[in-house]
Amino acid sequence: MFDTEREISDTRINLCLDCGKCTVVCPVAQHDPDFNPRLIAQRRLGQNRNIPQDDTIWSCISCYMCTERCNYRVRFPEFIHALRFEALEEGAQLQCTHGGALQAVMHMMARGDLHQDRLGWLPQDVELAEQCDTIFFVGCAPYFDVLFSDLGVDTLDGVKGALRLLNRAHIPFNILANERCCGRDLLLQGDREGFLALARANMEEFARHGVGKIITNCPECHYTLKVDYPKILGSTGIEVVHLTEVIAPLLRSGELRLGMLEKRATYHDPCTLGRCSRIFDEPRQILAAVAGLELVEMEQNREKALCCGASPWVHCGAVNRQIQGQRLAQAGATKADVMVTACPKCQIHLKCAQKSGDGKTTQVEIQDLASVAARSLD
Amino acid sequence: MSKSEANVVVFACNWDGLSSVEAVAQAGLSYPASVKVVRVSCLSRLHQGLILKAFELGADGVMLLGCEPGKCQFDTDPALITQECEKARKLMRLLGLKEERLVLTHVPRGDGSHFVGRVTSFIAEIGQMRSAVPGGA
Ligand code: SF4
Ligand code: SF4
Repeated sequence: MFDTEREISDTRINLCLDCGKCTVVCPVAQHDPDFNPRLIAQRRLGQNRNIPQDDTIWSCISCYMCTERCNYRVRFPEFIHALRFEALEEGAQLQCTHGGALQAVMHMMARGDLHQDRLGWLPQDVELAEQCDTIFFVGCAPYFDVLFSDLGVDTLDGVKGALRLLNRAHIPFNILANERCCGRDLLLQGDREGFLALARANMEEFARHGVGKIITNCPECHYTLKVDYPKILGSTGIEVVHLTEVIAPLLRSGELRLGMLEKRATYHDPCTLGRCSRIFDEPRQILAAVAGLELVEMEQNREKALCCGASPWVHCGAVNRQIQGQRLAQAGATKADVMVTACPKCQIHLKCAQKSGDGKTTQVEIQDLASVAARSLD
Repeated sequence: MSKSEANVVVFACNWDGLSSVEAVAQAGLSYPASVKVVRVSCLSRLHQGLILKAFELGADGVMLLGCEPGKCQFDTDPALITQECEKARKLMRLLGLKEERLVLTHVPRGDGSHFVGRVTSFIAEIGQMRSAVPGGA
């Protein structure tokens, strides 16, 4: 199922011209002189394969900034994911963040005899359509809010906002009581066995409920279900859309109207929603449709947006902190009241930086896009 | 699996916790072989990740065995482990695991028979949960 050499050549890394443009734009390389995408490629593709394991492969944050800049469209982060798989096969040990709690949860979620109790947060006023073949894929928000309760994250607020927006737009959907983590973080860290177990469990669940269409709020679930599942498991026959792709057209056509919220807001493009899925306009259209909301852009935005600085729950350190501080400072410079993101993980990592920074970290309020849009309806 | 005894991981702190485990043999007693004791310097060293890892690796129950209230050798705030324990329980609930499979407890320092009693009744409780719930949850 996984042919590493084939995968590596699919990333077009063999076209690498050694120009170093990736290294110039890479946020990790900017802060860490030992991290050099061009040299990683050279070391792996060079003749001498007996060199010791390349530890720098764990520092890449999969932000896809390099892909944006590369003239040959080398998919460097995917090259890194393949190298990580190889490294784990050769016995490398992961340095899991948060004591491995996320990996433990993801692995336990892959179990066949799992009966989760994950919908306790579902608000009474949200209407589900039980027989509907469209589902809203909640993602790991119920778990995140417990795991990161000390950071004050409320990623479920974004999910609730998304459900209220869908209800308001009269779009019927159901929710699965036993959906699993999409597996993206395991895939990115090189744990393919773990990823496959989750993906297969989800596919079985989808088949059992006759799912034909999936709406997600988390950009990572969106990309994984839409791109990685078919790529790795073969065609799924399921249409996958991001919430913003559902809501923005209704706002344009006037079928849906948002309310009022007097705020100055800046929008942080999550790497996976922006550079991976090319969804840059819809989130901005949604914010622009909120009356009274003034949208201001950060210095780096859209294709050039800076990442929230975090990895798939491995190897988080000083360099990640510096990137996060830089991004928060960019938000601060806009004088926005609120930094809006469309990804629960950006919210977690940025709030973590605010909490554990040196006291100089910009303390702008961070909220999910769906939360902000739904709040304007109140 | 249902016939064998429940696998229990005991995280015992180096002080009151471990002293009661060590006293078991000295008192000529024993506890089931399905109990694995992991020594930690203090329960405040534990966090939700390690607790969940034990369940991931197949534990049916986890016991956190610390010092009696106010007797911590390091004077750490007991709120630390209580908070981690609560978070782990909430995650277990989401995963459909009975939260009673995780206990935070203490026995008097050096009291081997107390520890044996506590751990065997914990195993019995887990056995009941396993037979009551389909799938062993
Ligand atoms: S994905 Fe981001 S962190 Fe990784 S090499 Fe490319 S630019 Fe650097
Ligand atoms: S930035 Fe993210 S990965 Fe790093 S410690 Fe904080 S929450 Fe964990």
